[in-house]
Amino acid sequence: MMRDYFADLGAASRDPARKVAWCTSVGPAEILRALGFAVYFPENHGALLGATRMSSETIPVANAHGYSPEICSYLTSDVGACLKGVTPLTKAYGLEEAPRPDVLVYCTNQCKDVMHWFGWYARRWSVPLLGIHPPTHVAEVRPEHVADVVAQYRHLIVQLEAISGRKLDPAELERAVARSREATDLWEEVLNTGTARPSPLSFFDGAIYMGPIVVLRGTEIAVDYYRALLAEMQDRVAAATAAVPGERKRIYWEGMPVWGRLRHLSEVFQRNRAAVVASTYCNSWIFSDFDPRQPLPSMARAYTRIFINRDDACKEAYLLRLAGQFGIDGIVYHAARTCPNNTNSHYGMPERLRAQGLPGVVIDGDLNDLRCFSDEQSTTVIEAFVETL
Amino acid sequence: MIAAALDPPVAAAGPAVTTFWGVDCGSSEIKVAAVDRGGRVLLLRKQRTLFPLAGHVHRALAGGTGELSPLVDDERVPGAPVGGVPRLLPGQQIHATGYGRSHIEGIHGQLTEIKAHFLGVQHQLQLDRDYTIIDIGGQDAKVIRATPGRVDQFAINRKCAAGTGAYIEELAHRLEVPMQSLPGLAAGHDRELTLNSYCTVFSGQEVIKLLMHGERVENLIYALYRSVVKRVLEMTAISTDTLVFSGGVMNYHPILVPLFAERFGDIKTILAPNAQYCGAIGAAIHGLKEDEENGIHHHQQLRPV
Ligand code: SF4
Repeated sequence: MMRDYFADLGAASRDPARKVAWCTSVGPAEILRALGFAVYFPENHGALLGATRMSSETIPVANAHGYSPEICSYLTSDVGACLKGVTPLTKAYGLEEAPRPDVLVYCTNQCKDVMHWFGWYARRWSVPLLGIHPPTHVAEVRPEHVADVVAQYRHLIVQLEAISGRKLDPAELERAVARSREATDLWEEVLNTGTARPSPLSFFDGAIYMGPIVVLRGTEIAVDYYRALLAEMQDRVAAATAAVPGERKRIYWEGMPVWGRLRHLSEVFQRNRAAVVASTYCNSWIFSDFDPRQPLPSMARAYTRIFINRDDACKEAYLLRLAGQFGIDGIVYHAARTCPNNTNSHYGMPERLRAQGLPGVVIDGDLNDLRCFSDEQSTTVIEAFVETL
Repeated sequence: MIAAALDPPVAAAGPAVTTFWGVDCGSSEIKVAAVDRGGRVLLLRKQRTLFPLAGHVHRALAGGTGELSPLVDDERVPGAPVGGVPRLLPGQQIHATGYGRSHIEGIHGQLTEIKAHFLGVQHQLQLDRDYTIIDIGGQDAKVIRATPGRVDQFAINRKCAAGTGAYIEELAHRLEVPMQSLPGLAAGHDRELTLNSYCTVFSGQEVIKLLMHGERVENLIYALYRSVVKRVLEMTAISTDTLVFSGGVMNYHPILVPLFAERFGDIKTILAPNAQYCGAIGAAIHGLKEDEENGIHHHQQLRPV
């Protein structure tokens, strides 16, 4: 499925009749699909660079070109890979390079690094750079926020129509939103199988299973995939198949994955019979607000309401709710050096939640920059934390 | 992984365990402790952490001729790492802690340094109230909040050496002062200076700059100790009225105890007995406790490796 997706992207970038749009992972993909763009997600590329550990070779290249080691290591991995002329897509999917964009579309609902990231490509390839700037870190999404974002979408659509050379068909957008909704509901159900004891899946599986909800939402392929995955997880629950045999403790993972150390971390938890049964990261692609009857306002609500774009009170309420729902014994907060946006341990949240009966521990690391991660120290911290639970 | 592993001698039902050995495999030293079933500490010994690790752990465990040892007699090879597959004597159990713990095969159990230090401290001090352990080791510092029964919460220093033994070592090196002279020199300070930097390299530069301006070495060393205290207390807020110190660094630099104490109004400070061995003692105690709880002898279940 992912192979087909990338093959199609490769074909689209070679075909002058087709247009390729780059989109941020929680950007307005449905609009792009409805306009017939082949949609590529650089963050997925970033994750692949991390998981293959190619990032260790590519980050320093971007650093040497003035992109600081302190900024998003997806950005530096990806830009470094482009400068170096390498991509994990070659080995994995036979693509020589990342598909060349006709337009770059970002949304700052997650961070502003994406603007700088896409900006680099906009300059490099003289490609239009279009952005949605929603209100950030909101307590609640109010009607005026929705109106603001919808107005930005409308402006975006006009610009995209000029690039794609076709008018947005409202029915096409409704269908894309409907398919996104269906896929995201199924994804939520998949993740909710983690409430079973023992849990049939862990965060480390989820980080792999989530590929299609990121890159294929709005398509029928994603819907089919999650329907099949859900059936498989339900079978596992029925058979009491455990992701972590002998599951003794249930952990919530807060923050980004450490892509280059997924296996290692998964083994540490496994050894200690602690199952990471839920995570902010996997849950970030649940968009229950999508409503095909109101495509743009519902997209505005869904993409503004995401966890990363909320204030701390919302985040804490959310974590406490999930901790109850999944029977969580403790939270492991990943303080990702280069992504403060997905790091929630810097402003006292672990202490506040501990005071409310939800213990947590912080491990230092990064999504892609393994220079910021220590196997030894993270193992000790996780093991000692599980010992205290 | 190691080449050699401990080979339990008896696969079938063995005798009851009489001695529990704890190995604390730290970044600079391997510490060994033995306790009997009554929890009495029978022996403490240590050696430098050298590689290959397994051989040196075996050597530290084996001890010298005539010393108490968990290994059969012919495994004692004075002066050289133990080769082959050392065998355990009947009635001996080994539990490991420290950064190297997962690189030792064939042992009966392992635990983190956090728990080991707590067990070692609590076993020796038998405290009946909540307290905080400050453990400063060669490459990390830990603050452990404990109740008499368990570890409640902990923090480990992040990323860099500041506030650890490595920091003291590096700056001693910069000042060209042997480590053992540091406490004595610090006592001769006549002025309180502050080293501001968070980073060992930057602190080194601060020290050099102050030296160039003619600052007395005594004052710089005193500042170095104060900065260790500062770095450790930045890790987490101390919320108990008793502070216990463990770890090798406190052992060599007891001057740190009053420096910590003066940062608090009314606080009781205790330098743990055998501060450097708290982890090893804790590991042995962990073995004893597990054995008591399970009522079975783990070594009987170990697969020969
Ligand atoms: S949210 Fe974090 S990881 Fe994602 S693009 Fe922004 S800075 Fe990078």
